[in-house]
Amino acid sequence: MIEIIIDGKKIEVAEGTTILDAARKNGIPIPTLCHRSTVEPYGACRLCIVDIREGNRTRLVTSCNYPVRKPVEVNTQSEKVRKTRKTLLEMMLSRWPNVNLIKQLAREYGVTSASYTHPLVDYSSNACILCGLCVNACSEIMWEDIIGFAGRGENRRVVMPFEKHYDACVGCSTCANICPTGAIQMTDDPNHPADDKRISRYGARVTDEVALYDIEQCRMREVGTAHLTEIMNDYDLLPTCNYKFGSHDEAGKLHSDVFKNKYLTQGVPDGCWLGCTMACAKVAEHFELKTGPYRGEKVLVDGPEYETVAGCGANMGIFDPEFVLETNFYCDTYGIDTISFGTTMAFVMECYEKGILNKERTGGLELRFGSAEAALEILHQMGTGQGFGVIVGQGIRRLKKIFAEKYNLSQQDIDFMQDIGMEAKGLEYSEYVTKESLAMQGGYGLALKGAQHDEAWLIFMDMVNNQIPTFQDKAEALHYFPMFRTWFGLVGLCKLPWNDVEPVDNAETDEPAKVPKHVEGYVNYFSGMTGREIDKKELILMSERVYNFQRVFNFRLGFGTREHDRIPYRSAGPVTDEEYESRAERYDKQLMEKWNYDITGKSTTEKREYLRKSREQDYQSLCDAVYRRRGWDENGVPTIEKMKQLKMDFPEVIAVLEKYYSSYTARSS
Amino acid sequence: MKTTVIVNGNKLEWFAGMTIGDVLEKMNYTFRMLVIRVNGELVRKQNYATHEVPSGADIKVIHLISGG
Repeated sequence: MIEIIIDGKKIEVAEGTTILDAARKNGIPIPTLCHRSTVEPYGACRLCIVDIREGNRTRLVTSCNYPVRKPVEVNTQSEKVRKTRKTLLEMMLSRWPNVNLIKQLAREYGVTSASYTHPLVDYSSNACILCGLCVNACSEIMWEDIIGFAGRGENRRVVMPFEKHYDACVGCSTCANICPTGAIQMTDDPNHPADDKRISRYGARVTDEVALYDIEQCRMREVGTAHLTEIMNDYDLLPTCNYKFGSHDEAGKLHSDVFKNKYLTQGVPDGCWLGCTMACAKVAEHFELKTGPYRGEKVLVDGPEYETVAGCGANMGIFDPEFVLETNFYCDTYGIDTISFGTTMAFVMECYEKGILNKERTGGLELRFGSAEAALEILHQMGTGQGFGVIVGQGIRRLKKIFAEKYNLSQQDIDFMQDIGMEAKGLEYSEYVTKESLAMQGGYGLALKGAQHDEAWLIFMDMVNNQIPTFQDKAEALHYFPMFRTWFGLVGLCKLPWNDVEPVDNAETDEPAKVPKHVEGYVNYFSGMTGREIDKKELILMSERVYNFQRVFNFRLGFGTREHDRIPYRSAGPVTDEEYESRAERYDKQLMEKWNYDITGKSTTEKREYLRKSREQDYQSLCDAVYRRRGWDENGVPTIEKMKQLKMDFPEVIAVLEKYYSSYTARSS
Repeated sequence: MKTTVIVNGNKLEWFAGMTIGDVLEKMNYTFRMLVIRVNGELVRKQNYATHEVPSGADIKVIHLISGG
């Protein structure tokens, strides 16, 4: 820390702090026109000049870009400073006499009108004052250089290249939001928002947060969601070898920095959402393919995202970034989902290791964990409709049935496949190990579309934070988060700016996990767009209506009842002795402390089976609690009262549900 | 005298001069979006390396939600 003096006040600052920041943090005002914390200061307007004394000498410096390196005495209001600022403001006023910002500042320095008129005087109240904030924001916040300065001296002006409209501008509005005079304005003709300024106001906050804090939070701009690979491995949550384990010694080979340093070539917004500052989607260019119809060609590969790294890497026991990229390219090319492919292949590999599959059954392929070449061969077969790949392409739910019937498997093998086949409602699990988080088991099992985490990702809240210890706590989380997250789908907004960047003071709010300021933002986007005032409760109510309607839709397709909320046991606990023993200390402790089970003299199998019984009971108790919280009956059927409360009790809807009330009552009696 | 602290409900051995940074390292908490309270009091990120935790402290390291 360095001690400096500003206007007689002693202040301690970290080395490198600018005089402007130090002064403002201590309540000492310094005027600026071209300064924002989100862009690099560059001293264009000169209004922030201060007098600094070093030894016997004093001199004027711009405080916004003067970093403190040694003790210094600063005077922000010396006669010289005030006189210079007054001259500057008079010059500005002579050119832009009606810009409020300048008029206001000039008045503070005793200037109400200029004593001369600039030859290029602009009388408009929203004239461009050449502060350069828009140019810097385009470059530094958006990583684009769509606008820049042309001309010199009094001919200086902000333009697009060749002073023509440039198609690369997607209308992200960052320049308009940062412009202090309104010289750049956005129009939204296609959407006709009720209050575009309201939307911009809240959107600009997120833009600023991304520009300022992403680098120290999730690094979404650098590596996208792939930053989760190393995090998940550290917390024993990265699925390896078909979700047997949650971490691996070789996981470092798939670290996001490996992709960033060696493969990713573009760090610019990819246009998935026009002008999104978070820009999480990445690209690897000139990647040379080793297999398949495009072997030897250099191609552009999307991503990879975390799910792809985990699914088409760790979960197959393959720790090769080039395998991940090649698989990602071909999945995209063939139109195959990387999560379903990764999870299905992991299942197939475990079946091979178990002896359920062999070379004869796979068409000669040795599909063990780690077999990158064979896995790619299956992908090509799947994409081109040939060989064993056609069978694998049907997904885990059908594979369990096909293998059982085709190979005449024993009941033991059939049960094993049921335990390790990571699907729910027919959809393959996404890439998180859920064994130690009951709430997340519910997040997957109770999700309406099948085992996807986009309704609720509760592992940290549950397993790491211990924030939701009771069934009721977990049920509350499994009510709020699915409802809140469903809303993004209803309005067509991306969820990532909700929770992949956070306001700097989020920790000080009452419910940081919900990111209250961002919820407020979404409420305002909605009201700003539609003109209809809502609050955060109504936002949840909108989702609850649709969510229950989706549940009814599941019933209509025969997927609604409790039996369809079942999860494979590997989602809840160790299926094999090998898995139990790999985390024996954890499981032994739980058996003793949570279930008072005496483990003395017990074999691994005995302990594992006891653990299974307990965890399976817990899952059913969780379902009970969630059904109650959501207003559903014991079989997961939304009650008539609930549908009435939601004003969703249309005759056609009730007709679907009534069948289930009666069949359940009949079965119970 | 207690020689442990409680971190998210789990016991962790305490030592004189233990900081929040030490707690995060011992627990292998590498995630960056955290809200940390020691005996209910918020600790700001810039103080993790220097904020000492007293013996017997109840430490909550709340990991926020992230990811798709």
